[in-house]
Amino acid sequence: MSIEEDRRRFADVVMPHLGDAYSLAHWLTGDAADADDVVQEASLRAFRAIGSYGGRNARAWTLTIVRNTAFSWLTKHRRGTVVAVDDLEAVERAQALPGREGALANPATPETELIAKADAARLEAGIAALPVPFRETLVLRDLQGLDYREIAEVMEVPVGTVMSRLARARRRLMDTIGNTER
Amino acid sequence: MTNDNPAADDRLLIHALVDGELDPAHALEVERKIAADPALAAERARLLALQRALREKVPPKPLPAHVRMRVERAVGIGAARSGRGRPTWAALAASVAIALLAGSASTYVALAPSGGDRVAEEVADDHLRALMASQPYEVASSDRHTVKPWFNGKIPQAPRVVDLAQQDFPLVGGRIDVIGGEAVPALVYRHRQHLISVAAVPDGKRAGAQLQRRTVRGYNLVGWRDGNTAYWAVSDLGAGELDAFVQAFRSAPAE
Repeated sequence: MSIEEDRRRFADVVMPHLGDAYSLAHWLTGDAADADDVVQEASLRAFRAIGSYGGRNARAWTLTIVRNTAFSWLTKHRRGTVVAVDDLEAVERAQALPGREGALANPATPETELIAKADAARLEAGIAALPVPFRETLVLRDLQGLDYREIAEVMEVPVGTVMSRLARARRRLMDTIGNTER
Repeated sequence: MTNDNPAADDRLLIHALVDGELDPAHALEVERKIAADPALAAERARLLALQRALREKVPPKPLPAHVRMRVERAVGIGAARSGRGRPTWAALAASVAIALLAGSASTYVALAPSGGDRVAEEVADDHLRALMASQPYEVASSDRHTVKPWFNGKIPQAPRVVDLAQQDFPLVGGRIDVIGGEAVPALVYRHRQHLISVAAVPDGKRAGAQLQRRTVRGYNLVGWRDGNTAYWAVSDLGAGELDAFVQAFRSAPAE
């Protein structure tokens, strides 16, 4: 495959989704300068791998690379940020046991009106506070508009996992909005 | 969700409903449950309010223009490539073909994969990565008497820095690359709008005495050995022009 062919494919496949790529990197790293680095590194990886693009979903393909790059980046620069999901779900199960106070077992759910009134700063802070596996699911669905199958492809998990993480992410976000409201 | 909460599955399905992920039959079933259960109805109202708040209030994170430009420049697409009067890569490739037919003064060797290939890959990667950075060098200077001392104290041995401005390859700066886990000096030269990185890898015993030519991800590389140092020049220049650069670099008088 010639370099011109690679460039043409990169322009067709990756460039249209560079905005989404940057947005996802920004939400995952929480920082504009870090998002710059991640997008550039991911673009390099995508360009090198463009020959392996299978022609299905260009956005999911691109975002998969961005997500993996962001995780390598977080692991390298912010050890401890990426909590293993298994640990997280074990914690939640423990919290949800009967007789224990926990968000899942006994959600202090805010009223619809309170959610509707939440301002941008509170929403952004709430999203940023979500553990990474929940945050990425919520961002991909509610901010970037991917459907469940696309999200499953990007995160390389089954659709059922996408659904449960999305539900948890929204539950936590709603609770945060409610609890921080004075 | 746990089995302790009998409504857990229904709650998941409400998410799927507001996300438009249910087929009509399942959607109808969930709608019926919502109609019969005020708690589920309240959950749906909250989810819709949340989605709407997220959609309308969370400010987008627009792609900065400089990020797009860096990516375009690094892979050689977009405005960076469409400038008039500059030869396209295809044209350069054609001129290379002609040069090869005419017989180059240098001897190119087609080698079996060797240690040099791994080094060449790393050199090409560092070059590409540097193109993506805000500037492709850490010290910016066209004066070799500024660039050479900059390396002192950062690496054991400063590289040979030559002035090629007369040959239309002005020096633009230098940086530290990492090749095979070692910090090595890299010089950056320019030819028209194209940048050339020259990495100087100490202890280059594996490099052959003859010129070695590679193409890694579309970038041309030329490697050679001088004493104990292996040099690799990498650029998106056509092979013919890169060859001319290498010849100029090698024949330039040392300080």
